Amino acid sequence: MKSLWKKYKQNKLVQGILLLIYISITSLSLFMAQKSVTAFLLLLSSLLLLYFTNFKNLTKWLIAGIVLVFLLPFTASNGDAYQSYMEVATLVGIYISMALGLNIVVGMAGLLDLGFIAFFAVGAYTYGIFATVQASNFMPFGTFPLSGESFWLFILIGCFVAALFGILLGIPVLRVKGDYLAIVTLGFGEIIRIIFNNLDRPVNITNGAMGIPSVTPPRLFGIDFLYPSQFYYIVLVILLFTIFTVRRFEHSKIGRSWKAVRENEIAAQAMGVPLVRTKLMAFAIGASFSGMMGVVFAAKQAFVDPTSFTLLESITILVMVILGGMGSVPGVILGAAVMTILNLQVLTEVTSWLNQLNSTGAFSIPDALSPSKMQRLIFGLLLILFALYRPKGLLPAKNHVYNEKELQEGSAKENKGKQEVMPDHSQIEKAQEV
Amino acid sequence: MLNEILQTIPQVVIDGLTLGAVYAVIALGYTMVYGILELINFAHGEIFMSGAFIGTAILIVLTGMGWVSAVPAIVMLITVLLLTAILTGLLGMGIERVAYRPLRNAPRLIPLITAIGISFLLQDIVRFIAELQKGNYIVTGPNLFKDQLSIKASSISSIFNDASIKTSFVIVLVTAVIMMIGLDLFINRTKWGMAMRAVAQDRETASLMTVNVNKVISITFFIGSALGGATGVLFAVQYGTIDPYIGFILGLKAFTAAVLGGIGNIRGAMLGGLLLGLLEMFASANLTLLSGGVFGAEYKDVFAFAILIIVLLFKPEGLLGKPVTEKV
Amino acid sequence: MSILEVQNLTKKFGGITANQDVSMTVEKNSITAVIGPNGAGKTTYFNMITGVYQPTSGTILLNNEKLNGLKPHEVSKKGIARTFQNIRLFSEMSVLENVLVGMHTHIKAGLIGILFNLPAIRKEEKASEVKAYQLLEYVGLAPLLNEKACNLSYGAQRRLEIARALAAKPTVLLLDEPAAGMNPKETNELTQLIKKMRQEYNLTIILIEHDMKLVMEISEHIVVLDHGEKIAEGKPEHIRNNPKVIEAYLGSGAVQAG
Repeated sequence: MKSLWKKYKQNKLVQGILLLIYISITSLSLFMAQKSVTAFLLLLSSLLLLYFTNFKNLTKWLIAGIVLVFLLPFTASNGDAYQSYMEVATLVGIYISMALGLNIVVGMAGLLDLGFIAFFAVGAYTYGIFATVQASNFMPFGTFPLSGESFWLFILIGCFVAALFGILLGIPVLRVKGDYLAIVTLGFGEIIRIIFNNLDRPVNITNGAMGIPSVTPPRLFGIDFLYPSQFYYIVLVILLFTIFTVRRFEHSKIGRSWKAVRENEIAAQAMGVPLVRTKLMAFAIGASFSGMMGVVFAAKQAFVDPTSFTLLESITILVMVILGGMGSVPGVILGAAVMTILNLQVLTEVTSWLNQLNSTGAFSIPDALSPSKMQRLIFGLLLILFALYRPKGLLPAKNHVYNEKELQEGSAKENKGKQEVMPDHSQIEKAQEV
Repeated sequence: MLNEILQTIPQVVIDGLTLGAVYAVIALGYTMVYGILELINFAHGEIFMSGAFIGTAILIVLTGMGWVSAVPAIVMLITVLLLTAILTGLLGMGIERVAYRPLRNAPRLIPLITAIGISFLLQDIVRFIAELQKGNYIVTGPNLFKDQLSIKASSISSIFNDASIKTSFVIVLVTAVIMMIGLDLFINRTKWGMAMRAVAQDRETASLMTVNVNKVISITFFIGSALGGATGVLFAVQYGTIDPYIGFILGLKAFTAAVLGGIGNIRGAMLGGLLLGLLEMFASANLTLLSGGVFGAEYKDVFAFAILIIVLLFKPEGLLGKPVTEKV
Repeated sequence: MSILEVQNLTKKFGGITANQDVSMTVEKNSITAVIGPNGAGKTTYFNMITGVYQPTSGTILLNNEKLNGLKPHEVSKKGIARTFQNIRLFSEMSVLENVLVGMHTHIKAGLIGILFNLPAIRKEEKASEVKAYQLLEYVGLAPLLNEKACNLSYGAQRRLEIARALAAKPTVLLLDEPAAGMNPKETNELTQLIKKMRQEYNLTIILIEHDMKLVMEISEHIVVLDHGEKIAEGKPEHIRNNPKVIEAYLGSGAVQAG
């Protein structure tokens, strides 16, 4: 058995064939079935299978692209539940982006932020206010709502406004140390929500607890984006951008300085890493992902109100990061996907199944225990169990593995070049530059 | 404007002291645990909330058995307080044992995360027990002290309006003060109090001096949680209606109080609590007036958080705490 | 020629004086040792030079440029690198990454460059990796490049700290008890490494050390602190026979007896 597994791990061809069979079966069953959440989820999990293959990164991305861009929407489009699948997929994308943003702050820079949803709110309100008549209450010029074409610009604006908020909140907050930071960010998150909740007077900016209805849908080439199946593609593009950005930062000077600050602030400073700047950058970049997705969220729901931005939401995103593995990009993607699906599909499915049982009288369960109400319990349990038994999450963060041979050669080449050009005395000068 | 503010002062002081006393006792729990473990026990607010529910449940049961009308209210209250304190104290000890002790050497982030987890878990468990029993998670307990008193502040000076108080106010304040004095005596006068102070100073040295550190930490959690739970009962008595989510905001504010007074400092927590209660009541009574109608009482939570942030930024050691520098 | 000039440095924590008027002149390319009994204020002295603590009074001049008021990362930019008494590595990061963090100020990549993965940035990154690898070769840790820093042995961790400090291309290197916890063989290797580094990297080295054999062997100048004050200063042979120093280390009875 073990040797078989070993062989599988080494053999790309077998992996490829098995993956292909898996994808074909699941997509076919999704295509045939009128409504099968199982098939939908199984097809999604082919991506996890793909992650564990030995293919080159480029190949993996290509396959993932084909599955996400063509296969999933196409095979799902046959059934009645098409839009609800796409709704789930869209939300999964939104949450992954946010979790990746929080992962920068918590996982990489080691700053526990319990008010992260605030940046999502900022993005959502930015679009919500200007894409409705709301803006005309306080803007001295311009006609509102802005047209659906402006949505694309607002993705960028949402990104910058959220980053700006990240910096503005960060400047005072980051002077606070360790555990206090958690409390202060929590406080800030609540402050922002309370302000949005009450900013209907003296000037009506956010329409208070009533929320902002009928947000203008995005428009491109004369087509209005109204359905989840359309938003799915917007989210997919932003998500890809997010993943690439995170990957870039992770293995750069910036990513290293985040981790250095997390590991040891004093040593990081002594090595020339500016503490405040580094932390602010983590805050701003993390926030910007949320801001972008906030804009999308506002457009998708066509409605913004403060209840979408509670502490529970902040904690949900935190659970995603912890579950997947702090600092681990693939882990956080997995964590966010699992949590969103659990939240939206599994809990509701189990609830309706239980209700069915209830109505047939086969089994009875009180309403208080209905699974869809048990989010807090489940999140709480997950947080505790993972912190105690698997603090590094489902897919723990791994350090970049450097190619020893390549570096050896590079080093040898440089040494050789030096010896040929430099006479022995000035070698000291040269070595100084190393 | 000044006149209007002055008129409300008696009522503000009374309400502020009541709320402040509640904050102060909960803040004690935060401060004790932080002093000893340098851990923010996020779940403490939920212990307070559990206390409110346990107390109310006991009251309801006893009412059902007809005891409440048979004995004087004050005896009833003391019984309920003691029972609840013991139960929540055990709850706190259990939480420490399960969620914090195994993580004592883990990175600082991790116990904070379990604390949030515990907090959510408790909220939901209480919710569905309440919902199962009463059909609704918002619970109103039996009213122990119905009388209203009126303080004729206007007779002192005509600037003031009269203030009205429930009898329970006096009870809450007196009980809270007794708890605080009791704790202060315990910490400063008893063997276990001394051991607690020793562990807070230097855990390792204390253990070398044959102090049973684990036991001391357990006792700390027991006392902190017992006080928190008892305060929950007081809260339920004073304000009547409770739900599983009262612990969160209240806990946060109590934490603010602890920070304001200087975290780790017992007397600081008491001072911070009373101060925050007064400030908050003042703000909620006068914010509309002071800001010319721009901000209303709904911003009183913002006000409390703002105090927290300002204190942490400019005087992180609090009013009575000592500054600490990290050793390099 | 002096490179580092410390004048009347004083540090008070509340009522406690950790350093009182400690001055020191460090010659370029020299090895200076700061010694003294435990609690004499040596590490505090280092912390002031590197900007971790701000001195209560006194000045620090590097190449006649004042360092007072600079943050630690700014001091590092000016060319002072250090290691720590209680090892402070980035323990979850790999050995090579630790050294790469040391190069922080010398890697120019900015936000935009990284985001768009510009060729220049890629080239710079590759070159930095090679340089970091060379530093690992230099301290003998090259085969462990992908290992987590926390998995290294104690002696290897100390050497990694040195490689990381060298990565910052310092002109002055501060070593805080580099030989602490090392066996005689490791200490001997360290002694050779310090000498070699000074030579090949044209460094000025200041070290705090309790191992007198090492101190006497490599340092050209010794500063002795006791109770936060400088009690003696000079060449090793002078310090060795200075009664005040012996008294500080062994107590007042030792001088008469010896």
